[in-house]
Parts: sequence; C-alpha cells; structure tokens
Amino acid sequence: MVGMMPSIPLTVLVLVGVGSPALLFAVLGGASLVNRPSPERSTGPLAAGAMTVSCVALVLAFVVYGTTATDAQLLSYGAWSTLHEGGIAIEFLVDRLSLGFAALSTAIAGVVSAFSNRYLHRESGYNRYFALLALFVTGMLLVALAGNIAVLFIGWELVGLSSALLVAFFHERPAPPANAFRVFSVYRISDAAMLSAAVLLRHSAGTGSLALLFGGSVESSAALTGANATIIAVLLIVAVAGKSALLPFSSWLPRAMEGPTPSSAVYYGSLSIHAGCFLLLRSAPLLEHAPAARLLAGALGAATSVFAAMTTRVQTDVKSSLAYASLTQVGIIVVEIAIGWYTLAFVHLAGHASFRLLQFLSAPNVLHDLHGIEAAMGDRPVSGGSSLERLIPDRLRHRLFLIALERGFLDSILDRFFVDPFMRVARQLSRFDGWLCDAVLPAEPQAAVPGGDDQDE
Amino acid sequence: MSDARLWLAGVLAFPVLVIAASCLRIDVERLRRLAVASAIAMLLATLAAPLSPALRGFALRSAALSSMPGGEAIVRIDTLSAALLPFAAGLWLLTVAVTPRAALDRRGLRRTAVATLLTFASFLTESAVVLLVLSAASVWTFLSALDDPAHQYQRRVVAVYLGVSTLLFALGVALLTAPGVQNTVLEAAAMWCIVAAALVRKGIVPFHAWVPEVFDHGRLGPAILFNAPQVGAYMTVVLIVPRASPEMLRVIALLALGTAVYGAALALVQTSARRACGYLFMSQSALVMAGLDCTSVSALAGGLLVWLSAGLAFAGLARCVLVLEARRGRLDLSTYHGGYERMPVLAVTFLAMGLACTGFPGTLGFVGEELLVDGAVDVFPVMGFAVVIASALTGLAVLRMYFSLFCGRAEAQGHAGLRLGLRPREAWTFVALVVALVGFGVVPRPLVDSRFAASDEILRLRQLRIVESRR
Repeated sequence: MVGMMPSIPLTVLVLVGVGSPALLFAVLGGASLVNRPSPERSTGPLAAGAMTVSCVALVLAFVVYGTTATDAQLLSYGAWSTLHEGGIAIEFLVDRLSLGFAALSTAIAGVVSAFSNRYLHRESGYNRYFALLALFVTGMLLVALAGNIAVLFIGWELVGLSSALLVAFFHERPAPPANAFRVFSVYRISDAAMLSAAVLLRHSAGTGSLALLFGGSVESSAALTGANATIIAVLLIVAVAGKSALLPFSSWLPRAMEGPTPSSAVYYGSLSIHAGCFLLLRSAPLLEHAPAARLLAGALGAATSVFAAMTTRVQTDVKSSLAYASLTQVGIIVVEIAIGWYTLAFVHLAGHASFRLLQFLSAPNVLHDLHGIEAAMGDRPVSGGSSLERLIPDRLRHRLFLIALERGFLDSILDRFFVDPFMRVARQLSRFDGWLCDAVLPAEPQAAVPGGDDQDE
Repeated sequence: MSDARLWLAGVLAFPVLVIAASCLRIDVERLRRLAVASAIAMLLATLAAPLSPALRGFALRSAALSSMPGGEAIVRIDTLSAALLPFAAGLWLLTVAVTPRAALDRRGLRRTAVATLLTFASFLTESAVVLLVLSAASVWTFLSALDDPAHQYQRRVVAVYLGVSTLLFALGVALLTAPGVQNTVLEAAAMWCIVAAALVRKGIVPFHAWVPEVFDHGRLGPAILFNAPQVGAYMTVVLIVPRASPEMLRVIALLALGTAVYGAALALVQTSARRACGYLFMSQSALVMAGLDCTSVSALAGGLLVWLSAGLAFAGLARCVLVLEARRGRLDLSTYHGGYERMPVLAVTFLAMGLACTGFPGTLGFVGEELLVDGAVDVFPVMGFAVVIASALTGLAVLRMYFSLFCGRAEAQGHAGLRLGLRPREAWTFVALVVALVGFGVVPRPLVDSRFAASDEILRLRQLRIVESRR
C-alpha cells in the first residue's frame, strides 16, 4: 500500500534535486532571453554546481528513503488551484525505482556537463547548449519522479523539445533543423499517445495519480482491468516506442546524430532513449493486467533488437553505429520487462546507460587513435575473426545487408503511407479554403501592389 | 462619483487621449510614444480590477435594453471581465510597442486606440444590445483598415462574412429582447442566430474561409488586433452559455473541435508564414470555444485560461512575424531563412510564444489545456482526444515555423554588418510577454483561481436561467 505521509527531509531533498537543474535553466534561459548570455567562465561552473547539488540531493534522498521507508511515498508540492479539489497537483512518487533512476540521470548529466565544458569550448551556442541540457535534466527528473500523469507529461514533453532543439544545435546548416523536425514529429506522436493514455486513465479510473494506478495497489487493480487496461497500456507502448525509437519509429535515431556528440551521448546513448524503458518499468503493474499489451511490448522489443543489431553493423559513421547498438540493448530491456524480469531490466538499463555514455564520449578519441594507426600502417587495420554472419546463406545475407543499409526502409514507408497522404489531404483542404472564399466572392484579377502590405496597422 | 466610476473613467481616458492626439498635428513618433505610455498606464490601471474586490462589484443596470426582469448590466466589472480588461490593454501595448515604424502611421495609431476602446467596452457589458453595437463598430473599424486599393478583395470578403455575422447577431438580439419570447420557438431561433454569428466571427469551420485569406493577403496588424481579443468568445460566454440548450452547446463544441484539428493540420502545410498564423489562430481560438461550450467547471475555467494565453501568445507570435517581415519581406516557410545569431531575442521569444500558443508545459497555455481536457473528459470524452491531436499538430507547426524563420542558413558575409536585431522597445515588450506567459505557467494559482471563480459564476447563472425557464 502506498504510504501517503512523506517525511520532511525527503520532501526537501527531492525538491532540491529537481529544483537545481530547473533553476539552472531559468538562469541560463533568462540570460539568453534578454540577450546577455552568461560567459563560459561562469556557465561551466554554474552547470557543474547545479548538477552536483542535484545529484548529491537525490543520492541522499535514495539513502534516506532506503533507511526510513519501505513503501512508495507520494510527495505533494501543492495544486494549481485552491478552489477546486481533485485538480492538477505537483506530486512526486518516490520509491527505489524512481529515486534510483533520478540519481543515475543526474550523475550521467553531471559527467556529460563536465565533458561538454571542454568539448564545446568557444562554440557560439555554448550557453544555449547548457540551457537545453538543464531543461533536459529537469524533464528527465520529472519523468523519473512523476506522481501523476500531468507531471509525467510535462517531463516527457521537456525531454522531447530539448532533444529536438539540440539536434538542430548547428542550425546554420539546413540538415540539422530538417532532421530535428523529423525527430520532433515522431516525438509528437509519442506525446499524443501519452496524452491520450492520460485522457483515458482519467476517464476510466477517475484519477491521473500514478500512485494509485501504477502502485500495484488493490485500488489500481479495481480501477483498471480488461479492455481499458489493454488500450491504455497499448497507448503507453506507442509513447515508449516513439521516445525509445522502437519499431516502427526507429528511423529518427540516425537523424538525431546531427547534434553535438555530448548531447547524442546523453540522449541517444544513455538517458532519453531509456526513458521509454523506465516508463514501461513504472507501468509494470498495469502491464500485468494487460497480457496482450505485454505480448506487443515483447514482440516490439525483440523485433527492434534484431533490426538494430543488423543495422548497426553496416553504419558508416561511429555515432549512428553506436546509436543502433544502443537500440539493440533497449529492445532487449523491453523484452525483459515484458517477460517480467523487472530487477534485471533495471540493472541492465543502468549498466547500459553508463557503458554507452562512455562509448559515445570516447568515440572521437578512438577515431583519432584509429586515424593515427592507419597513418602509421599506411593501410586500414584488418577486422577479422569469425562471426555469426557466415552461417547465413549468401543470398539472404545480401538481402539483409540491403535492408540494414536502407535502415529497414522505415523512412520511405512512413513517408509513403503516412506523411505524404497527410500532406496531400491538408494541401487539398488548403486549396479548398481558397476556393471557398472565391465561391462567396469571385476574385477580380488585379496586379500586385508593391508594398501593399507595408502599411500594416 | 464612486471609486469604480472614477477608475473606469480614468482607464478609458487613455485610449481617448491617443484618439484626440492623433487628430492634432503632432509628429507620428511622438504620437507613438504617447500611445505606448498610455497603453502602459492603462495596463497598470486595469491590473487593479483583478486585485481589488471593491471594483469587482460595480454595475450599472438598465431595463431599457432588455425584457428581463431587473434589466441587464450595461456596464459591470465581475470576475470574468476582471482578467479580460488587462488582457485588452496588454494587446494594445503589444500593438503600439512592437509594430514596425513603417507599418503604423497616424491613422493606424488612432485605429488601434479605437479598436482597444471598443474591445474594452465590450468586455465591460453583458447587454446583448450594447454588445451588438460595439461588435458592429469593431467590424467597421477593421474594414476601414482594409480600405487601400491593395486589399479591396480582402475587404469585400471580410465585409461579406462579418456583415452576415453582424446581421445574424442583430436578428438574434432583436428576437431575444422582444417581449414574451421566453421559452418559445422564437427564443431558440434567436439563440441559433447568435450562435451562427459567433461561429462566423470566430472563424469556426465551415464559416472560416475569411480568416486565412485576411491573414495571408490582407493586413496582418489589424487582423491580429481584431481577432486576438476574441470578442466572439465573449459573446459565447455572456449570451450563449447561460441560455443555450445542451444540444446547442454540443453542436458548437463539435464544430469547434473539428476546427481545432483542421486549423492545426493546415497550419502545418502552409508555405506562407502569414497564412500559417491564420490557421494557428483558428485552431487555438476554436479550442477556447470548445472549452466555453462544455458545462464542466474545470473545462470552462480551462477555456477561459486558453482564451487569455492563446490570445496573448498568438498576438505575440504574429507580431514577431510582422517584425520579421519588416526586415526581410514576405516570409516563405518552404525554405530556411537563418539569422538566429543576429536576432537571438526575437528567435527565443518567437519560440517561447509559439510554444505558449500551443499549450506547451511551463506556459500558461499548458495549464489551460490541461484543465480543459481534465474537465471535459467526463462530460465529453471526444474533446480530450481532439485537443491531443490539435496540440500535437500545432506544436509541429510552430517548430516548423521557428526552424524555417531562424535556422538553416549562415548569414552572407557581405550582409554581416546589417542591423537586424530588435529595438529596445520591441525587445522589452516581447520579453515581458514571454515572462508573463511563462510566469503564469509556473505559478498559475492566482489566475487559475480567478478563472474557476468566473466559471462558477457563469455556470451558476446558467443554472438560474434553467430553473427560471422550468417555472
């Protein structure tokens, strides 16, 4: 049973943990807003300080919780309205899972922040990068600690927006914003699925509280069973698939590599890509009531893992290769959750997030070393050893190679069956609007008046 | 003279002062400075309305324009109007502070003051007749802004659509105020006329074609000032919600939800920034309408909040487009324009206002949309899903606009010395607007409480009328 009486130190520690990166974003974002970006010599220490404070507070919260409590606790920080009860409130649900993931998130963000401080030295968007990193960490902590679906959604959206804006970080070239828009489009599908799940939760259970719904309590079992549980779980799986790049949404992952390497590391190697897995872990009690959804999650995870394992082998750049390698593990984690091996899934998640972060961050150095070796040898080092590929018949191997090279043709499938028809219908409707005006009042042919729009008020 | 009357006279004196000064031969830039100072003073003065309980009880009633026993309040300040008055003043300040110099002449300044006066007066009345007169006057003001040869077609389109809307409104008010129509077919007919008038004025599908046309090829500035206050929403709250049958409200809500999704989808595929703004406005203003026509307290409060947030955020976003046009000419969204490094404040404020407009977390719009969905789910579940789709699509449309207008192209070296940044007055106005939208998004309680109080009051009035009609 969820304990509803929070201890005071825990409340303060969690507030400090979440508040530090939020305050950092307010400071850096506010400075950018008034066109007075803080100089590098203060941004770096500020970011390091905020991440350290947040990490220490959340680790302490984890320790305090572990020594004083056995049940999940719902910490409330007030509601939006004093006039109406049952409205939207700022609530955090703390237990070992949420505090563990939150502490891990800030530790990883702290490492990335320290690395970025040197990596982005004298980069024109230095301040913008740290502001967005702070926004991302705030979002991740809200996802990790959310006590109700509104808070979860706030975090989910903040992670998505900061991700898209960091993909477009080098915005003087057309490719990063174009790819960021594609990434954000998939995130919006994920957001819509999440919000739809929230709508259905409130409609069927009369509450958006995660403590009741995902807490594994008697109330949650009574509130959500049968078709409702399955539909909500499927919507959550769609949200997870979008955010964690599971099939059929995997095609955005290589596009997201346009951003700076540290942001690729923290988002697509380490934290953001695992946010979906965390949500699935969080909603495990719900999945228990929806076997069909569990089966779907397992199938998606397995298919994604196989697809990503193939695709990662044919990538020509190290970041895309690492991103698909991450996806392979994410797929396996999803399968573990679907089977019900929750502890293993969390350990796998934490270990993989840390390991992949290290790989991403050291990738530029490895490449540098490799180039040195190549220059010394006068040739490329031979990659050898036996591999499983040799067991596959030649023709099948060739086909799989083509599929992997084209990244499963996912982009063209999405374009052909979803994006293009949508755009076509919307453009026709837009033309119809023009026709509607003309139908009411036929336009007279007239020459354009130069500067006709200038006198605008 | 009571304090409230004195306060009201003082507030109304600010736009009147600008109108009077515009008739004198003073320099346009000095007139603009006077308008900015007056708008700031008006905004500060109107903030007294939500803060002072003494002002909120003020009403001037008359039985001359109504068949209702006890008459109607010709002028009144209540919980609903208390937040709308600073809203109207804020829109005026935004207009006079950031509209480019070349786009705001003496007549333009006078017109903005007249439009503000009319909007302000509209928000002060609950009389159908007074509202009709003010609505007709504001349509006439809007038409007068389109009287140059370049915009004759748009002027005729607006005249047809809003002329029909005004006629329907007049017919409805005439039927509604006639003696002995209560609980008769005539009252229902009157209500349908007013509903149709409000739908046309708000640009609800299928009566919407004038909105994208006037935004795209008409004059953007007057279009923003005419549409952003959403007087059609006010008509709905004051005249329709208390009297309309549940079926009538259901029809309005369904049309509004369809418009919200339709506008959002079409905003996403436009190549003209102005036309995209028009569809964004349609989508957001339809969400307001959907919330107002739902009889749940939370949904109604959400609708009232979205009204304020979407109105301010949309006006700010469209003004950003106007400011950009003054520097670059017409903006095509099918290409990347670049320039973030040279206009960082404009880029950041554009993005922030766009996100506020679409109800992104951390902004006032999110609070409004959450309440709207939260309250509507039980009464009208389909509303929740429509809001979700509309919100997802408008978010995409805004980010597409942002990327297109500020990213993707390095500035040519030869043009690097050109000054493209905002003037201090423009920058501080945009920044103040963003701070307000984010500030109320992070600490929404005072505004949420005030909107809950207003929606309680509106629904209490509706219950009272239902009980009266049953008698």
